[in-house]
Amino acid sequence: MNTIERLQQKIKQGDKLQIVCNDSVDKQGFLNMSAYCGVVEYYPEELVITLKAGTKIKEIVAILSENNQALPFYCQNQEKSIGGIYATSGPEFSDNVLGVQIINGEGKLLNFGGQVIKNVAGYDVSRLLVGSKGHLALVTEVSLKILPQRTAERYQTEPKPKNKVSSLHLDFEKKLKQIFDPLGVFI
Amino acid sequence: MSLTSELIRNLPKGLVMVGSEATRPFECDGLSAYKQKPLAVVLPSNLEQIKKVLEICQHFKTPVVTRGAGTGLSGGAMPLEGSVVLGLSKLTRIISIDKERQVAVVEPGVRNLAISEAVDQFGLYYAPDPSSQIACTIGGNVAENAGGVHCLKYGLTVQNVEAIKMLTIDGKELSFSRQDDGIGMLALMNGSEGLLGVITEVTVKLTSKPKIARLVMAGFSSVSDGAHAVAEIIKHGVIPAGLEMMDKLAIEASESFAKPGYPLDAEALLLCELDGVEDEVEEELKQVVDLLSAATTVKISETESERLLLWKGRKSAFPAVGRISADYYCMDGTVPKRYLALVLEKINSLSKYYNLRIANVFHAGDGNLHPLIMYDAGVDGELEKTENCGNDILKFCVEVGGTITGEHGVGVEKLDAMCIQYGEDELKVFHQIKAAFDPDSLLNPGKAVPSLHRCAELGRLHVHNGELPFPELERF
Repeated sequence: MNTIERLQQKIKQGDKLQIVCNDSVDKQGFLNMSAYCGVVEYYPEELVITLKAGTKIKEIVAILSENNQALPFYCQNQEKSIGGIYATSGPEFSDNVLGVQIINGEGKLLNFGGQVIKNVAGYDVSRLLVGSKGHLALVTEVSLKILPQRTAERYQTEPKPKNKVSSLHLDFEKKLKQIFDPLGVFI
Repeated sequence: MSLTSELIRNLPKGLVMVGSEATRPFECDGLSAYKQKPLAVVLPSNLEQIKKVLEICQHFKTPVVTRGAGTGLSGGAMPLEGSVVLGLSKLTRIISIDKERQVAVVEPGVRNLAISEAVDQFGLYYAPDPSSQIACTIGGNVAENAGGVHCLKYGLTVQNVEAIKMLTIDGKELSFSRQDDGIGMLALMNGSEGLLGVITEVTVKLTSKPKIARLVMAGFSSVSDGAHAVAEIIKHGVIPAGLEMMDKLAIEASESFAKPGYPLDAEALLLCELDGVEDEVEEELKQVVDLLSAATTVKISETESERLLLWKGRKSAFPAVGRISADYYCMDGTVPKRYLALVLEKINSLSKYYNLRIANVFHAGDGNLHPLIMYDAGVDGELEKTENCGNDILKFCVEVGGTITGEHGVGVEKLDAMCIQYGEDELKVFHQIKAAFDPDSLLNPGKAVPSLHRCAELGRLHVHNGELPFPELERF
């Protein structure tokens, strides 16, 4: 699973899929992203890095540290992939998200946001999907704001526990799931 | 019963305005090139009244345009034909301030600067500072995800909002917070341009005021030298509180208007503000000055009044340009910083092609450009020519991997440009998000996202991410 076309094909088959990023998982019903990894683009002076979703945090940290830069969010387990962090985090992570490339439940490749720090064109889908736990779309690429090491450290504190949301709120989440994954492929 | 008589019957006297004269002050926002009178303007003073307005508008299937102070620059608060303007400027209560947690809960009509003024006594302030901060409201700031001069270090609105409450078109109350379990609904509401709900309360994050701030001004004999200095400063690990650049025309206009002492022989001017605790600022100051070897002039503010004077020139750049031209049109594209000089070159060639003067003011630190295209609305066809020139600039911003709007929003102004930025599939998702919250499309309909039909008519193709049209360019 290391090209966009193959990922799209697999999703288009319409079988229920669970997105994971783990080399040891390679069986029916799982979409393993660990082979879809690497830096797509990185210019230190832009304070922006674009990564394929399967890239491990420890690899990103190593690349950034060559330029005295770092990820400005909390991450205890550096074995995790950036896609996994994206899927399970909250605003303290999404504050640094600038853009995202996804494949929706119908196998379409979509791009939201971009690679610049300021961008208010269109709804903020790249931050909306943070925390979606792989249930709405397959995230293939993420663009992040990064910071110099000494500044980034200020933001690497553990996030507060989350609160349950209202049933009306959940109704809207369900409606949004319908938009990205109308056939219910991602479980 | 008509819509207006229902509004008048159900709301206290004086809150509903109808007729050409009474609604005229609301016919446009900060983008005065576009004007439209609404059916009525309602200025409610509490939540129940807002609910009543929405109920009546929903019943009559009448569009609602929510408005803060009307300072927006993309027509987001411009009335639509036959619409009701829901002005929230009377909801100006600061509900609570928690100086320990560094948050304040405010009504949507509270002015941006009023928040900072109210918490100044605790050594705190609200960081995002759009240039209209003296007048613009926090509700409008959230709706537009407003930016400002200090975004690179302190974030945009979305990073400075803790929670919001909003009403859906059918009057249901929703609240979104940074502590919510689940997807980023709060982030979605920031910058949703009044299309998804009516914001009724905002909890903002407050920031500790820096101990000191110093400003470095540097003049350069070329724009590329200035742009190179910007990249060097950031590459060396300095995150300035503000990093602004102006071109020659903007320098001249500002100098003759505010007399801050800018070097008139410079082709580009850089303003770099460093703030924080004293030791840190001194160290960064040395670092920055060392990196300005290509500058022809370097000046560091020694006193607070000197710092403010140097800023005054930059902050009055827009009115200064207004003085040398009958009208001007402000663009808002953002580009990767490594293309700043190239984009400016392109803007200069477009200026010659269209025979329109363009002054350039950049938030250079985050690559956000504000070209000011000067024109005369009194001359037939000049506005159209200006808009074409503006669209060409935005197209180029997208081509180099940037965006059509960094902080002003799409509104009515950049609907065509949205067809360049996004493809049909992404636009469809935007329309579906709108429909999930507002199925009858009554909240600010037609703004922010162009119809697929409109884009098809324009016949414009968007540039796909990752397919840069200039692979041959040297990347510096």
